[in-house]
Amino acid sequence: MAKKYDTPLLDELEKGPWPSFVTEIKKAGKKSEMANDELGQLEKSYRTKRGYWKHGGIVGVLGYGGGIIGRYSSLPDEFPGVAHFHTVRINQPSGWFYSTKALREIVDIWDKYGSGLTNVHGSTGDLVLLGTRTEALEPIFAEYSSRGWDLGGSGSAMRTPSCCIGPARCEWANIDTMEICYQMTQRFQDELHRPAFPYKFKIKVSGCAVDCVAAIARADCSIIGTWKGKIAVDQDAVKWYAKNRMDINKEIVDMCPTSCISYDGTKMTINDDECSRCMHCISKMTKALKPTGEKGVSILVGSKAPIVVGSLLSWVIVPFMKVQPPYDDLYGFIGKIIEWWDENAKPRERLGEVIEMKGMRSFLEHIGVPAQPQQVKEPRKDPFFFWKEEDLKR
Amino acid sequence: MEIDELKEKIFAFVQAAKGKKKLKEKDILNGVSAEVGVDKDVVKKAMREMIDIGRLMYSYGGGASSVEIPSEEYLREKGLIK
Repeated sequence: MAKKYDTPLLDELEKGPWPSFVTEIKKAGKKSEMANDELGQLEKSYRTKRGYWKHGGIVGVLGYGGGIIGRYSSLPDEFPGVAHFHTVRINQPSGWFYSTKALREIVDIWDKYGSGLTNVHGSTGDLVLLGTRTEALEPIFAEYSSRGWDLGGSGSAMRTPSCCIGPARCEWANIDTMEICYQMTQRFQDELHRPAFPYKFKIKVSGCAVDCVAAIARADCSIIGTWKGKIAVDQDAVKWYAKNRMDINKEIVDMCPTSCISYDGTKMTINDDECSRCMHCISKMTKALKPTGEKGVSILVGSKAPIVVGSLLSWVIVPFMKVQPPYDDLYGFIGKIIEWWDENAKPRERLGEVIEMKGMRSFLEHIGVPAQPQQVKEPRKDPFFFWKEEDLKR
Repeated sequence: MEIDELKEKIFAFVQAAKGKKKLKEKDILNGVSAEVGVDKDVVKKAMREMIDIGRLMYSYGGGASSVEIPSEEYLREKGLIK
């Protein structure tokens, strides 16, 4: 397919040493009119400083309410190739592990029905395929689902749960993130495909507080691996770090948020009772420090990361919960969280916003979790006084 | 109540809101359940069956999902009418 548009402004973005999205769209444009027109419309947007995409609509596959994000050009006569340019979300495997064969299967189907463009993984975690027409959606779904793939979540639904790579490739994982994520994806199929919530609900699972999937910043329910025992200290390894020019006082002791570490130049001591399990010291001194004892999860709720304003970080509500297959306790607990949110939220309100409006007291009472010191977000600001009418009368 | 009769009630409920209010799934469950005195889970099952065959459909707009009566265009795209 011949080059269709001159793109002097986009061409600027091909200069420099790094890979360029413009180059990739141009490559796809050699085989796809959609990619060609995508380039033409984008150049026009750069020239006029206006966007020409329309969002939403009724696109989807029969029976599903999510997984396809409708996208239309507002200039269909000028750029007919992108008159429809819908996004398809494919539910990713836990930890984003693929064989090369699986990836070829996905892109071969996409070349057949779509623009040939993908940005692989969006911030949701799903595998994101960019640009197809409405009439291609059912055949795309049929082909992917016949090979064991499924659509991910979108709209007012449970979004595809995601997790870090956990024990598959990381020495810090306190829990099997991939198993938890996989089982939750199976358990919440209905909530994922049939939008019944006031707004989106995201679950992300991190193996430790380093939080590689940024659950604390993005998930309505963050499940983060933690431990109950002491941090084992290998004093020989501590000496090795000191010998190799680590300034232990500056980089570790002074950076500890609870000031529970001391170092006298030869020996490191940790007051485990004061430790908040933030993982800073362990991630910096991997050879010397190691969590021990019982492993489990901390559950935090209420974060969201909108593009412009209103960002919230997650709030600890359960400092430690033991989790093990078949994870019924975890499902039940998440079910209660969703139930309270669903009862109290207006359309387009995320869990964190509803907690801010209705109060943590109402939330904790519904989910049956007592007020605990670990839930205090800022000293002297979250007293959790659960006064009731009868208390005031006394 | 027979399931077919319940489905007609659900359809009538959604039709009555057409052009006035975007109904969330929960609105339909609460509304129909209260109207006909049937458990919400039964209403949900009946509604899901209607969605599966294209009698109702999910729609998305303004950041929220709703349930609607499909347009002819949608039914044609899905090959449910010619």
